Amino acid sequence: MILVTLIGIPILAGLLGWMLGRRNPAWPRGLALAATLSVLALGLYIGLTPPENTPWLRQVRLPWIPQLGVGMHLAVDGLSLLLVLLTGLLGSVAVIVAWREITDRVGFFYFNLLAALAGLIGVFLALDLILFFCCWELMLVPVFLLITIWGQRQRHEAAIKFLLFTQLSGLLMLLAMLALVFVHWRVTGQFTFNYVALLGTMPPPAVAMLLFLGFFAAFAVKLHIVPVHSWAPDAYVAAPTAVSVVLAGIMLKAGAYGLLRFAIPLFPQSAEAFAPVAMGLAVITILYGAVLALGQTELKRWLAYAGISHMGVALLGVFAWNQWSLHGVVILLLAHGIGTAGLFVLARMVRERCNSADLRDLGGLWSTMPRLSAVAMLLMLALLGLPGMGTFIGEFLVLLGAFGVSPLVTALAALGIILSAVYTLRVLYRGWFGPPRDGQASVDLSRGETALMAVLVGIILWLGLFPQPVLRAVSPSIDDLRMATRGLMVMEHPAPLVRLIGWGGER
Amino acid sequence: MNHADYLSLAPLLVTAATAVAVLLAIAVRRSHAAAFIITACGLILALLSLGLPLRHAPRGVTPLLLMDGFTLAVIGLVLAATLGVALFAHGYLARLRLAGDEFYVLLLLVAVGACVLAAADHFAALFLGMETTSIALYGLIGYRRGHRLGLEAAIKYLVLAGVTSAFVLFGIALIYADTGSLLFMALANGNSLLLPAGIGLLLVGLAFKLAFVPFHLWIPDVYEGASAPVAALIATVAKLGAFAALFNLLWSVMQPGSSVCIAVILLAVLSMFVGNLLALQQKNIKRLLAYSSIAHFGYLLVVVIAEDVLLATIAALVYLTAYTLTTLGAFGVMIQLSNADGDADHLEAYRGLAWRRPWLAGVMTAMLLSLAGIPLTAGFIAKFVLLSSGVDAQLWLPIFALVISSVIGLYYYLRILLTLYRAPEAQPASAPLPFTGGVALAVLLLGVLWLGIYPAPFLTLLEHLLTYLR
Amino acid sequence: MVIPITGILAVSALLFVVGAVALITRRNAIAALMGVELMLNAANLNFVAAWRYFWPERMEAQVAVLIVITVAAAEAAVGLAIVLNLYRRFGTVDLEQIRLMRG
Repeated sequence: MILVTLIGIPILAGLLGWMLGRRNPAWPRGLALAATLSVLALGLYIGLTPPENTPWLRQVRLPWIPQLGVGMHLAVDGLSLLLVLLTGLLGSVAVIVAWREITDRVGFFYFNLLAALAGLIGVFLALDLILFFCCWELMLVPVFLLITIWGQRQRHEAAIKFLLFTQLSGLLMLLAMLALVFVHWRVTGQFTFNYVALLGTMPPPAVAMLLFLGFFAAFAVKLHIVPVHSWAPDAYVAAPTAVSVVLAGIMLKAGAYGLLRFAIPLFPQSAEAFAPVAMGLAVITILYGAVLALGQTELKRWLAYAGISHMGVALLGVFAWNQWSLHGVVILLLAHGIGTAGLFVLARMVRERCNSADLRDLGGLWSTMPRLSAVAMLLMLALLGLPGMGTFIGEFLVLLGAFGVSPLVTALAALGIILSAVYTLRVLYRGWFGPPRDGQASVDLSRGETALMAVLVGIILWLGLFPQPVLRAVSPSIDDLRMATRGLMVMEHPAPLVRLIGWGGER
Repeated sequence: MNHADYLSLAPLLVTAATAVAVLLAIAVRRSHAAAFIITACGLILALLSLGLPLRHAPRGVTPLLLMDGFTLAVIGLVLAATLGVALFAHGYLARLRLAGDEFYVLLLLVAVGACVLAAADHFAALFLGMETTSIALYGLIGYRRGHRLGLEAAIKYLVLAGVTSAFVLFGIALIYADTGSLLFMALANGNSLLLPAGIGLLLVGLAFKLAFVPFHLWIPDVYEGASAPVAALIATVAKLGAFAALFNLLWSVMQPGSSVCIAVILLAVLSMFVGNLLALQQKNIKRLLAYSSIAHFGYLLVVVIAEDVLLATIAALVYLTAYTLTTLGAFGVMIQLSNADGDADHLEAYRGLAWRRPWLAGVMTAMLLSLAGIPLTAGFIAKFVLLSSGVDAQLWLPIFALVISSVIGLYYYLRILLTLYRAPEAQPASAPLPFTGGVALAVLLLGVLWLGIYPAPFLTLLEHLLTYLR
Repeated sequence: MVIPITGILAVSALLFVVGAVALITRRNAIAALMGVELMLNAANLNFVAAWRYFWPERMEAQVAVLIVITVAAAEAAVGLAIVLNLYRRFGTVDLEQIRLMRG
């Protein structure tokens, strides 16, 4: 039942805050913070107490629409628990950031924010395809409203673009789910949307490939892989900071999670056959994002392209599908989520102080705001993958894993990571060094702000220096996932394209 | 006719009797309130009497009508929708200071016609049902006698319905010439070219009635010209009856790969795309809903060609229910915003509604999300079941058309949604919500959410009903 | 002399087409309504022919014709009332001039 509580708390707090918020905006703020913190606390509780049953740490199955084979099946393993914890953490950050940023219709704002978070938690916990789809879609509408009502200029276009991209790909996924279920039904006579039951279904290869592509489309859009990335920069820039934090920090991680949990285990052969294409896309995404990030002057837009580039690395790791790369992906998702969230908050702080977050208007921040600058430097170094930071561990493991599969692809990806150092240092140089500009207020971080940033930086450092607890937590899940595809995703018979790109290796 | 026959017809008889009762009441004293109360009570009674035919279902009452599970479910929907329109119309007519009493007579006649259509098992019943609906609707569309748009819409609908009945009738005559029977079953066995020609004409007539592309040109004008409650009636009650008839009719002729099947697929795909594309540019909500209803019935055609009867029937009923709830809700909000100055059918009238009248905007948001098929609303469950039925029958072309065109549809629903949440320009005085309309909206909202969040009991009910299939 | 059934069907089809053409081309509302009547009567002719040539022992066709005549009368009554109102409001029954709405 604790899992239902995890989803229920944000929704209830949101509703309650919305109702009470008409009189006093302190209510929704306080309730929202309480809700996100209790998600974090519950997540930690699940992680620290012994598991209930194998193979899941916690599991709950309730009937929902038995006629359609749809059940309320929630379960949590190491992988989803980590992402839930990330949701709790960054959700709290978003709530705190919005505390002063949002001043009108506060109750409704927090209701939407919490609804989106509840949807996300649902996505990480759901083991029923339709439940998963519902949660997947559930987070869209609140984010859409958040962007259109509280966003900055061009918010309507950005919001519509965001929703159309995700909805079209989502419907393709729904179609693939239905088709999979009908294939399963024809074979076994059991009509169910349950993930565990569907795992072994083997549709004919051509069909399986189509279905896999349906799933891949939905997750690739969320992960903003080139060529379906174009919603992301607009949405990040237009959204209020709290929403950018949620979008970039957690929501796009749901795309990677979907690939790991659903797309690949359900269709291992198709994933194997598709892997060369996916890895090619990953490389294109890495390089494309990096090159565009080089040319950006607006901090949020720069972060968006940097994010695109980094998610390319995650995609590479997912499709390399071996021990190293998968562990790397998880670390990368966590570290990048926290780092990006921190940088979005930082961009907001810069904007508050200098009335602009554009590099052309900034300069010499280091001399006027040392504390803010120190945080900025740490976060950016983390982003570019300095050893000792979480991102480094993640990217290193991914590249290590991918090298065994295709050295050429890995080399190209590594080039992208070098570029990431260039574009990050460029921003740091232009914004923080050199002579200070006129008219910049020199208000450094307040004590509260410093504390918030210190927590984020601390976690990134911890991930970089002592990743073992995280790796230990996630190992069983990764083993399970790889068990599900055992004997299929190995390189004994490399697909022709793989042979072309690299010379194969052990996965 | 014996005892069981009367029981089987109870909902129809009660509705018809209510119409007579309202007429008699008008003869005694003209009173809007009395007419409304009699109508509402009659409709509620008719809804309650739906339990009576169940014991005998499926039962053919005379060769004309057949009361089976599907029919009863559609009749239930028709009656509920009529009740909803009556509740909305009560406040609307009072605000416009229109004489309301005859309105309810015509309303009830439309309902009776739609019920007959849904129950028809015989071409004579089909024709009578269609004509009862149409003739009552002429009166309703032209009800605001001084209103130019209303009259224009009325004459357009008159001509359209005339053409429809001519096509249908000519088709029936050809079918009769070939088979010598007016029963729907006759369609299954013909021996000359007259039968396919007749079926073709019949299909064209029904396509006119349900406004499938390319027979859709009349529908936006009629919606725009008719007053909002009447537009709601056309969109729900009239279409429900006609679709049920089409559904019952086509099941007897449909074979996969037949020319009828191909024609239906063509109609469906065209309706989905053209309906949604034409809606994109609309700034008038009534016209927009008209085009979106074209698209929705295009989606619904998928179930007509599906293979599994039970699944298709459930899909049709769930979709019709969701569509009825949602469309009625959207029109309901429009009706609440309309007053003597005109119907609130322009997009601008909804600007900033969320901050002016949050409750109405909340209902509208739910309805729009449901029309777009977003999860946790009835629209999603409906689309889900519909897609299941299509995937089961492997109708890939219409299904892909459905998915892609429904994303186009999402775009214009979102545009309205955006308008609701834009900053308002002025702050017009907000009128209080009339009790009847408020209740109806609350019920519709709850229905949409309940069906979206926990549809299991509803599906159980449908499964139970469909054990009484013909 | 016996007229072949094909002849009668041809005449009824012709009537139907004439009605449809009148409906499309005539601008006068009353002429359009007359077009509809022609189409309905084409169907009636078909029914009668079907009875006389194919199914002389069955009564459905005759009943159908009676129903159609009644319904057509009802339709004409309501239709003419609407046309009358149109004339009052617009001062014309020319459908080309009664075009406030697009499409």
